[in-house]
Amino acid sequence: MGRCRTAFNAYSVKFSPFYEGRIAVATAQNFGIIGNGKQHVFEIAPNGALHEVAQYDTQDGLYDCAWSEANENILVSASGDGSIKVYDTALPPAANPVRGFKEHKHECCSLAWNPARRDLFLSSSWDDTARLWSLAAPTSLRTFAGHTYCVYHVAWNPREPDVFLTASGDTTVRVWDLRQPAPSLVLPAHGYEVLAADWCKYDDCMLATGSVDKSIKLWDVRMPGRERLVIPAHSYAVRRVLFSPHAPSLLLSCSYDMTVKLWDTASPQAAQGLPVRSWDHHSEFAVGLDASTLREGVVASAGWDESVWVWDQRGFPTP
Amino acid sequence: MESSAAQARLAVLTKQFYPVSDDMHNLSLQGCAAGDSAAYERRNVADDDVVIVAALRTPLTKAKRGGLKDTDAVDLLATVFKAVLERTRVEPEALGDIVIGSVLGPSSQRANECRIASFFAGIPEVVPVRTVNRQCSSGLQAIADVAAAIKAGFYTVGLAGGVETMSSNPMAWEGGINPRIGEFPSAQGCMLPMGVTSENVAAKFGVNRKTQDEFAARSHRKAAAAKAAGKFRDEIVPVATKVKDPKTNTETPVVISEDDGVRGNATVESLGTLPAVFKKNGTTTAGNSSQVTDGAAAVLMMTRAEARRRGLPVLGVFRSFAAVGVDPSIMGIGPAVAIPAAVARAGLQLDDIDVFEINEAFASQAYYSVNKLGIDEAKVNPNGGAIALGHPLGATGARCTATLLHEMRRRGRAARFGVVSMCIGSGMGAAAVFETGGEVDPVNVRAVKGQTLLSKDAVV
Repeated sequence: MGRCRTAFNAYSVKFSPFYEGRIAVATAQNFGIIGNGKQHVFEIAPNGALHEVAQYDTQDGLYDCAWSEANENILVSASGDGSIKVYDTALPPAANPVRGFKEHKHECCSLAWNPARRDLFLSSSWDDTARLWSLAAPTSLRTFAGHTYCVYHVAWNPREPDVFLTASGDTTVRVWDLRQPAPSLVLPAHGYEVLAADWCKYDDCMLATGSVDKSIKLWDVRMPGRERLVIPAHSYAVRRVLFSPHAPSLLLSCSYDMTVKLWDTASPQAAQGLPVRSWDHHSEFAVGLDASTLREGVVASAGWDESVWVWDQRGFPTP
Repeated sequence: MESSAAQARLAVLTKQFYPVSDDMHNLSLQGCAAGDSAAYERRNVADDDVVIVAALRTPLTKAKRGGLKDTDAVDLLATVFKAVLERTRVEPEALGDIVIGSVLGPSSQRANECRIASFFAGIPEVVPVRTVNRQCSSGLQAIADVAAAIKAGFYTVGLAGGVETMSSNPMAWEGGINPRIGEFPSAQGCMLPMGVTSENVAAKFGVNRKTQDEFAARSHRKAAAAKAAGKFRDEIVPVATKVKDPKTNTETPVVISEDDGVRGNATVESLGTLPAVFKKNGTTTAGNSSQVTDGAAAVLMMTRAEARRRGLPVLGVFRSFAAVGVDPSIMGIGPAVAIPAAVARAGLQLDDIDVFEINEAFASQAYYSVNKLGIDEAKVNPNGGAIALGHPLGATGARCTATLLHEMRRRGRAARFGVVSMCIGSGMGAAAVFETGGEVDPVNVRAVKGQTLLSKDAVV
């Protein structure tokens, strides 16, 4: 459907929950090792072409972004200097960023906005913590410490507004509840770093984890002793996993092996490592992935090759 | 932004490229789902292991002067044969073969003597007998041959051993020497007297007289302490024999039950007075060489399954054997080459070995071998060696095995792997690795009939 180039290496792409054709892309210079960052907002025209709506420069690289669930113009970006920047696309570029939150002591790498409690969002960081924020509060509402290494990903449970998971390089995934002081579950999911995790949108007890060990595992939080499924998914570390918002058993993943794959977890092929679709349009690490909630089947991926692609998962990405 | 922060980011990212083999996704840090109810117990034992259930020896006495000087090979062997069979209550007809190491006895005659000894011991004619000769390693080679035959499935129970009657069979060369031997330096090396090879080792590797005498004194000290502590009681079988007085020609019946070569009061000073006998101004003397000795030893071996079936405790497990070749003119370096080979074949490192029995053919070569390999001398010949006890050529390998296994049993869990090794005249070395542990407790071994729920070693 469309492809656009970014000036820097792209790290994350997110569909707006309000506008069908709007995507936010977080990018970082020099693969995010050193240099500046840039937050983009693109619009997909009816003919499929992508054009830029807004662009914001940052001092340090940006590793993730998330749209507000409460306001269609607000988005937040996670920066390598540990800060979180808040942008309002309705305001002129000079007025942006409208807010900054600087509390993480190391790189902030993941953001997740609560779809039910629309005023809350979470961040996770390489300082081994996740933090809970609200735009109404000047500082973080809560800090979730417990992991012993970088927390690579944070994700809200789609049906339980108080529950979220964190995925960490300490090889565990922890499930937290805002009503509890300590994690409800510490899941030693893999033998190697867990870079990605996501909840199933149709089964509030099912989650998927993706790891440096190149596999994706499905878990039921009620029976954490044994994984439900192991998918030998990629040939390098799995960078993101994402359950489809429209089908209970469909799972998307992207990896350092430069591919994006679509899995049917209900089929026996998954356990053999055979995906429904495998897309190799990226020529560098594929690190960003999102599925549109407003248009069924539309997915987007972002890669270190400075490109962002949007296509229908039943087909193939076209330039 | 400083480069150290950039480097830190690079480090985190680089860790994500940790090489992971394709089957690693089955790993996780979950606790074992099976818990304690695993269907099988994980041990380092297998039913087809070749195990030693008995290892015994006669006392070692000085040739021509000691208590066994008038005892022939038949009586020496019959004594140890009977002892191993009686102590294990294995019926003699169960033996699949008897392999005896023997060096100096005339080949065919000695082989016949071994067969005669088996009859003396009450072993029926259906059990075959043979000898093996790899010079000083013959006793150990016999053990390796029986282990190999058991592994090959030729039989399940075998008797290995060794014998030497140096009082009756001197080292000699009959007939001429091939005239072309001068064309081949290595072949010429085979003709060197053993003491000359010891001088060669001492000179080439810088082992001086004092070091050799200190080594010899230590050997005597350790042997004397072991004797006094009664450590050889378990492995020695007394020999009922006769001693002939050469002057009066009368025969006195005796029972020999002690090694007679040990000189606990030997010191560096007393050994230092002995003359060098192989080379002018040399370093090798009668005091820092192995003694010329009579003796025999026997080792009963079978599969572990057979030992369990018979309710026999396992004295040790045969793990590996290596025979290697070295320069004949410095044959004493044999153990320095054979030990690493045997240890590697057992899948171990040298550090894993807890006890060594290295034959002390000469202090020069024994000292050299220990140092070359960097072995802790405290682990070597803890109960003395051939300098104090004697070196009955064909029996030594089996004798050292008996001494080693009994010492390891005394140490219990402190000793798991042991090595027997020796240099070999004409330029070779041999070594074998044994393991104790697993089921070596003699109390528990009893067959359990009629129920299948308890472990195989349970006493009901």
